[in-house]
Amino acid sequence: MDHPATVRCEDLWFSYPGQSPVLRGISLQVPEGAFWAIFGPSGAGKTTLMKCLAGLLRPQRGQIALLGHAVNGNGLPGWLRLKVGYIPQQLGLVRGLTALENVLLGSLGRNGGLGSILGAFPKDEVERAREYLALLGIGQKAREKAYRLSGGERQRVAIARTLLQGPRIIFADEFVSDLDLPRATQILTTLRELGQRQRLTFVMNLHEVEVTHQVADQALVLKAGCLVHQGPARELSTADLLAILQ
Amino acid sequence: MRKELLVLLTLLGLLAASLAQLGFFDLARLERGARNLLEFSRGMVPPDLGILPLAGRALLETLQMAFVGTTLGFLLALPLGILGTRILFPRTVVVPARLLMAGIRTIPSLLWAVLLVIVVGLGPLAGTLALAAYTVGYLGKLYAEFFDGVDPEVIEAVRGAGASRLHLARFVLWPESANSVLSQLLFMFEYNIRVSSILGFVGAGGIGFYMYVYVNSLEYQRLATLLALIFLLVLGMDLASAWLRRRYLLRT
Ligand SMILES: Nc1ncnc2c1ncn2[C@@H]1O[C@H](COP(=O)(O)OP(=O)(O)OP(=O)(O)O)[C@@H](O)[C@H]1O
Ligand SMILES: [Mg+2]
Repeated sequence: MDHPATVRCEDLWFSYPGQSPVLRGISLQVPEGAFWAIFGPSGAGKTTLMKCLAGLLRPQRGQIALLGHAVNGNGLPGWLRLKVGYIPQQLGLVRGLTALENVLLGSLGRNGGLGSILGAFPKDEVERAREYLALLGIGQKAREKAYRLSGGERQRVAIARTLLQGPRIIFADEFVSDLDLPRATQILTTLRELGQRQRLTFVMNLHEVEVTHQVADQALVLKAGCLVHQGPARELSTADLLAILQ
Repeated sequence: MRKELLVLLTLLGLLAASLAQLGFFDLARLERGARNLLEFSRGMVPPDLGILPLAGRALLETLQMAFVGTTLGFLLALPLGILGTRILFPRTVVVPARLLMAGIRTIPSLLWAVLLVIVVGLGPLAGTLALAAYTVGYLGKLYAEFFDGVDPEVIEAVRGAGASRLHLARFVLWPESANSVLSQLLFMFEYNIRVSSILGFVGAGGIGFYMYVYVNSLEYQRLATLLALIFLLVLGMDLASAWLRRRYLLRT
């Protein structure tokens, strides 16, 4: 049996109220454990596509299925929501909480009791949160408030939060854009390894082609709401991308 | 240009008419007033310090009323404010919560005091409840506004991790707006101290009761002592809250 598609969408159309369509008939099938990168100029609709796939926006036309479960646009059912991690472009960190606390928010779906409301998280959750921070190279910043972290550090906190959530699919909207090239490559490689071990599926928006050569398997190019290219990430060079976008 | 001049002249005309109607051009009356004021001020010195023990107790009661009233009001305003947060709750919850707070706010503290004296009888209990009521209406509305100002993307991200509404209130709304929330709480406390010193006029407890008595019995030297005490209290509170703000609330 071949791998079932973890993320599947068919002829997706989306427009914001009173505007012309931002997504125009997108279809894609991401197999389990895959690592996909989506490129495209600013305003192409990358964020919009992510939000639709993650169940945060309701497309006007088309079908979406996550983990084989049809998403009907009324948000995801609780169990599925926990299986889908979404890292927004602005990261969505709580400024007044520390890096560690922000990561622990990822575990709220499992810890609904009074303890978590009082801010007391189970020991093993705290330990795992610390491990993820260490894995991403910011273990020493655990006690720092989010507003005092650098852009790249914040992005890693957001990744750690999503990892702690324990999803099967992670949609990440440009989450390495504030990191320097070597650091970005290192983080992506770490995620790639983690993903292969846990059979995680990654779909992420990116700007830099170089970053993805070593980690992503497929590269997609979005232009004015249409998918204009799909192929092995290794074969896509910056020059190709420019040519495609011409 | 001509239009603006016309507006200005109209406003001036309205002001003059209102002044006349309110008695500001009645010179004989103004002169009488000035003389009375002088006499009244002369009657206040020297302040009668003999009532200090009594006044001190009344002042403490005033302070307690403001403290308890503000605290109770705050404890109710917080959940009501959360229920009034549009990014967290559907209209069916938000609208009733906001209407309730608006309704409470329509009635000023002094009127609440009058009503509550009727309900629970004379004394500081009525005054404290009056302060709590107005505090709920005022702080609750402000808090709902603060909470609505929280970045929806943060809410979306944390909700995506499986957080309940209670979690969102605790881990997103609160830390994102705690500074403004506490700063307004402090302001409310200052305001309630001022208000609670007058609630005694309608029998709702505190130092105002003695002010009322001394005004009516023309004991201005005693009144002067009360006014001085209130002045010191308000001044002290202003200094304390300025310090608290600098020390704790200005850090972001
Ligand atoms: N909330 C919104 N309401 C209305 N229009 C929107 C909204 N969000 C995005 N758009 C419009 O939709 C189009 C696609 O936006 P989107 O954010 O998906 O682009 P993007 O590819 O993610 O761009 P970037 O690389 O700059 O993040 C843009 O033209 C934008 O103006
Ligand atoms: Mg975007």
